[in-house]
Amino acid sequence: MDETVAEFVKRTILKIPVAEMMTILQAWGFYLKINCRRTSTSGERKESLVHDLVLLCEEKRARVSDAALLDIIYTQFHRHQKVWDVFQMTKEPGGDIDLFDMKQFKSSFKKILQRALKMAQLYPAKEAPQSDSASSHMGNSARLWVILSRGPFACNMSRVINFLVSVTFRDAEENAVWIRIAWGTQYRKPNQYKPTYVVYYPQTPYAFISSSQLRSSIPLLGQALTIASKHHRIVKMDFRSRYLDSLKAIVFEQYNQTFETHNATTPLQERSLGLDINMDSRIIHENRIEKDRVQKITEEVFGDYPQPRLEFAQYKLETKFKSDLNRGILAERNEPLRCLVKFSSPNLLEALKSLAPAGIADAPLSPLLTCIPKKRMNYFKIKDK
Amino acid sequence: MDSYHTPQSIPRRSASSRPKEHCLGATPLQRRLESVRKQASRAPASPPRRVPQRRSQLREDVDPQKVAFLLHKQWTLYSLTPLYKFSYTNLKEYSKLLSAFIAAEKQKGLAVEVGADLNIRVSFSALRGVKGTHRDPDAVLVQILSKSPLPSESGEVKVLWTGWFCCVFGDSLLETVPEDFTCLPLFLASGAETSTALVGTWFQKTFDCSFSPLAINAFNLSWMAAMWTACQVDRYVATTEFLWSVPCSPQSLDISYAIHPEDAKALWDSVHRAPGEVTQEEVDLFMECLCSHFHRHFKIHLSATRLVRVSTSVASAHTDGKIKILCHKYLIGVLAYLTELAIFQIE
Repeated sequence: MDETVAEFVKRTILKIPVAEMMTILQAWGFYLKINCRRTSTSGERKESLVHDLVLLCEEKRARVSDAALLDIIYTQFHRHQKVWDVFQMTKEPGGDIDLFDMKQFKSSFKKILQRALKMAQLYPAKEAPQSDSASSHMGNSARLWVILSRGPFACNMSRVINFLVSVTFRDAEENAVWIRIAWGTQYRKPNQYKPTYVVYYPQTPYAFISSSQLRSSIPLLGQALTIASKHHRIVKMDFRSRYLDSLKAIVFEQYNQTFETHNATTPLQERSLGLDINMDSRIIHENRIEKDRVQKITEEVFGDYPQPRLEFAQYKLETKFKSDLNRGILAERNEPLRCLVKFSSPNLLEALKSLAPAGIADAPLSPLLTCIPKKRMNYFKIKDK
Repeated sequence: MDSYHTPQSIPRRSASSRPKEHCLGATPLQRRLESVRKQASRAPASPPRRVPQRRSQLREDVDPQKVAFLLHKQWTLYSLTPLYKFSYTNLKEYSKLLSAFIAAEKQKGLAVEVGADLNIRVSFSALRGVKGTHRDPDAVLVQILSKSPLPSESGEVKVLWTGWFCCVFGDSLLETVPEDFTCLPLFLASGAETSTALVGTWFQKTFDCSFSPLAINAFNLSWMAAMWTACQVDRYVATTEFLWSVPCSPQSLDISYAIHPEDAKALWDSVHRAPGEVTQEEVDLFMECLCSHFHRHFKIHLSATRLVRVSTSVASAHTDGKIKILCHKYLIGVLAYLTELAIFQIE
């Protein structure tokens, strides 16, 4: 086994917390091949365990792809350690409805990505042939798309350069496919320690891509995904979070399922308000009416199910200053007040939901905040109409 | 000419007829109520105050390098009661005594992280010029340095801990203190907390003084935001940012509200009247405007949440009593306000 492969295996295993070691290893197909008889790793020092495993992998000639697969499994367990961007693809109207073939998807994804990367290195953005105006504002990826679509295989590329990129797939729950891409160059082997992950749900227009510093590779990736899944266009949505499952739930509108089956009109009068009994009964009555109203509106907007988890929402405001204070402040100024507002919380939507009942916000809350799941956005630019 | 520079060093009362001024000639009961209100808001001073001096009052003999290292560093604030029998002529001796004290504490087996080994040295020096008036005593700088074990590497001295004591426009305190005392009510520390505690213990023992952490409440944070927004900065290095924390929700929520510094300045200029001084009414109005603009968009009442941090191109301050000064020009102005807060806490 190559020394770099051994190192890659070692570093991947070292990342895994001891408590999860057996679960993750058993999910790894190669673990059965190394015929390891261990069924438990408790009470063992991690270093010696890793040492043994690496030796066994060496014996059985583990390949980069085996180690990459282990890394995918680890990442599936620790998906919240990455920040995920949502991408949406579209088809041209009237396009044929294709049956999805996973095998074909995987092989064409890999091929297209390798070719695109090769092209990108042969024709850097500046030298790429200029084509129709539609592509000029779309940058490098669009130009490549033009090159490829004009005859993707017309270019004389008999040899597929394998070391440009290494691509690994793993089928996951709900038909999803996890794709791990390690990027290389013409001169350098793929860097296995800074991969990009793509989670694609076949026959849907959505893909989730882990954000990385290699920004230039993302267009190529989007392009490979678009062509392989037989779409025509891909757009990055203004929607990102660590919580992949919540992004997925929002995008596929799965978060309100509990809401639909649950009776939302529980009699609110039954709930104790915890007010002092000696208080004027009319005040209690007034309070209760107001509390009920706020509660009702909040539930109408947010539902009474647990909110999908997001950590932040950001608003770039470029709106004119208007004040209820009515003192002519900034009245003559035509320029907008430029603000950047960022809300952050371990569970943003739950936090927002609690604002009006706590008396911190009006009920209903601003649509700017309540539209997040519906619009599938958490980055906004707000301007005056 | 700079409109913010006024020659007087004592805050000038505005001649306008604001409710505050009416109280001056009010009945004893009203006056008492007024003082209660002042205390309730923990306001060190409700009268108008001057915005930080544009032209710094640093004396010309000040070593610019000595001041530069005070900037862009996060300092934890403490207030300090006057030091008994502190002498500027004994700084060398204090260095030796504090070094010995730290070494002794270390040998006692107390958890003191001042370096991997005991090769430490303490240095006391006067930071000349970091003061508001000639009556203010010179600021004092204390550093814990690591001694290089090899003499050949003597060029490299690592600073393990830094703390400094100052008094900028501390007239109100200076007037009340007997002769044997030195007033340096503001103490700023950067480095391991264990070192801060150790230095604090030695000062308390040696000069019979007492330290207490200086928190900055929302009221004072608002003042800082307004005064610093009012400052003329050559180059904006940061946005005017407010960080609000929302209490009493099952999930904590932080709201960062950043305003383009030019726009924040325009808003300030619109609420601000008399040049050279800032009034409580203006500060309140400035904050109300920002909150109202926010409410218009998000329907959230920021006034019901907690202001925890403000940052501008001049400085940033956290309610925990952490400060970072960014602008050399307004160093003295920022320190003057902090000195005022420290004196208020001592009194």
